[in-house]
Amino acid sequence: MNAHTPRHANPNISMWRTLPLVCLALSACGQHVASPAGNNAPAPPPAVAYEAHVAAGGFVPPGGSLHNPHEGDAAVAKSGATLFTAMNCDGCHGPDASGAVGPNLGDGRWRYGGADPEVFMSIYYGRPKGMPAFGGALGADGVWTLVTYLRSLKVPENVPTESWGHP
Amino acid sequence: MRRFSACSIAMLLSAVPMTAPAANAALSTDDDAQWQMPARDYAGTRFSPLAQITADNATRLHPVWTFSTGVLAGHEGQPLVVGDTMYVVTPWPNVLYAFDLTKEGYPLRWKYRPDVSANAIGVSCCDTVNRGAFYADGKIIYNLLDGHTVAVDAKTGHELWKTQIADVGSGETVTMAPLVVKGRVIVGASGGEFGIYGWTKGLDLKTGSVVWTAHNIGPDADMLAKPGDFKPPYDSGADLGVHSWPPDRWRTGGAPVWGWISYDPGLGLIYYGTGNAGPYNAEERPGDNKWTASVLARRPEDGTLVWAYQFTPHDSWDFDAAGAMVLADLTVAGKPVKALVHFDKNGFAYTLDRTTGRLLVAEPFVKVNWAKSIDLKTGRPVIDPDKQTGASKGTVKDICPCLEGGVSPASPPAYSPRTHLFYTSTNNLCMDYGSTRASYLKGTPFMGINSPYSVGPGGYLGTFLAWDAATGKKVWENKEAFPNWSGALVTGGDVAFYGTLDGWFKSVDARTGKVLSKFKVGSGVVGNPMTYRGPDGKQYVAVYAGIGGDWLLLAGDVRSDDPTDVRAPADYVKDIARHTSQGGMIWIFGL
Repeated sequence: MNAHTPRHANPNISMWRTLPLVCLALSACGQHVASPAGNNAPAPPPAVAYEAHVAAGGFVPPGGSLHNPHEGDAAVAKSGATLFTAMNCDGCHGPDASGAVGPNLGDGRWRYGGADPEVFMSIYYGRPKGMPAFGGALGADGVWTLVTYLRSLKVPENVPTESWGHP
Repeated sequence: MRRFSACSIAMLLSAVPMTAPAANAALSTDDDAQWQMPARDYAGTRFSPLAQITADNATRLHPVWTFSTGVLAGHEGQPLVVGDTMYVVTPWPNVLYAFDLTKEGYPLRWKYRPDVSANAIGVSCCDTVNRGAFYADGKIIYNLLDGHTVAVDAKTGHELWKTQIADVGSGETVTMAPLVVKGRVIVGASGGEFGIYGWTKGLDLKTGSVVWTAHNIGPDADMLAKPGDFKPPYDSGADLGVHSWPPDRWRTGGAPVWGWISYDPGLGLIYYGTGNAGPYNAEERPGDNKWTASVLARRPEDGTLVWAYQFTPHDSWDFDAAGAMVLADLTVAGKPVKALVHFDKNGFAYTLDRTTGRLLVAEPFVKVNWAKSIDLKTGRPVIDPDKQTGASKGTVKDICPCLEGGVSPASPPAYSPRTHLFYTSTNNLCMDYGSTRASYLKGTPFMGINSPYSVGPGGYLGTFLAWDAATGKKVWENKEAFPNWSGALVTGGDVAFYGTLDGWFKSVDARTGKVLSKFKVGSGVVGNPMTYRGPDGKQYVAVYAGIGGDWLLLAGDVRSDDPTDVRAPADYVKDIARHTSQGGMIWIFGL
């Protein structure tokens, strides 16, 4: 496929929107405890590129890049597990994020994309089928802490098949 | 127009031909044929006098029509039949279908598709269910999940009014079936898992405007509890809904209204139950937590509270009392009584004097061990202290019944004035209850609970039983392989009907429980059967298939979209997905 830039996607505008967020995400490093919105509320992040989406014509729209400052950090994942309960996430997604009225978050299947930035966006802004926006209550670092926890969950083997034995 | 309640009919000699409860000016005057409100009559009996289908011929029952609702969530509630039209409300997005019963294949006359916010899905604790509509004054009236009540022209399908009654942002959704009486539409909100400040409202039938709002907890002024009017049978004093809580905890204390409302035209009172106290960790709210897990009697015109009785003081087990309050005139200990009968989540079946709220009979209808008995003098349970829960106690083991209830409030009973018996589904489940401190964050779950279930004694998971509420005794019982979650129907032909979670729809002899017919309806039944006489003069029985409700949470492996739901909470019913999966269907059976 040729490298073709759609007319509406101005790389300069996109870059301009991306910068403040990346700075915020980095500046929040090391702050593992959730802070309610208020004086230190971070500016909202820009859109991210959704790897799971089909791009019309194959033209992938440019998006900002978000980086999880805690990627792979087991200690942060552990505090994320605590935060998962403290923020009542378990009330919908079940203990251990294994699903209840809200979807299972540990099965490796994602409605809105499972890359760190996509999971971040789902938690920060919420999703239209009932996921509340937690960005205001948690701040960016709190959300990254949850993302780190969810991404640490081990996807069970043999997910697709449920069997009751053979005749 | 003469108004009979089924309870007044029950007082007539059984030799007198049955007269249908005539509750509304119908499109047709042939009231026997119809089912115009959720429980068919104001007394909440789910009894129909139709008698073409009998214990002798019910073996011939077979499906005559089906229709897919296009919705996968739990299909609780029941269709209405008014004149020659059947009305069906689906779970979210709460489509209203109107079927023309005069034409072959019952084509739609119209469908009404309201714009219901998907955000409500996230504040629905237990699936996006709807418990049905009410016909009155030429209108079909029902609730939308996202906190609205609508009135739709029964003939044209055009929206007549739409009123916002609840706030999704505060964790309120609306799943209950409204009741219309004396020009008021009585509604309430779900949200016992979201720390709501529970209420009931009375809307104006003509315009939909909110006439009164009465909270179920909190100060007397908010509860519309007025000196001289409010006479609870076992309590006294002002602001009981405040003083039975730690300071301000009533503001997030729950007491949702998510079930059914009944009405006694003679006493001029409506009756409804309230749900659990929040959060689930009872140690955060010492006190009785009035009036959670209670029955409240109000005047429909202005909401005035007349009496209240609390089934489970200081609810420590998520024992909602949101289930139906069925009104029947019984003879208890030799005396005629205007009774109210209620099968509670807590496992006891209660018979109350519905004039005063005083307790007459309270006996367990399933295995119960959280309380030894209910003291008839004080009205209070005699609690086993070993079964008291709380965060400091860790996980309290082996409590019966489990928090799904001895019966779910979503599964209303039926009462036959011919057999003088009540019919109800039950669950034979126990639980471990591990509560933890909960933090209130508006619009998110306010719970703090981990509660795995186990199978109750005997190895079966549920039953359908017949109950004598005058004595508090079981008359017969059919054991079922799975928890039983459908409502009950009983008819003038002495046939009772129910569905099972693994998808069987059954007719049984109302006097013996003998199974007369059964048919596999494709998905588990969590709805309530109803019956009507069609324009062709024949009696039919209709029921929804469509597993869901709490079963979306508990046996998620019946879902079509979530393959890893074979997980711990569903272990005790692991096999359910072998027999059913999701799917919303309307079934009609005939001879």
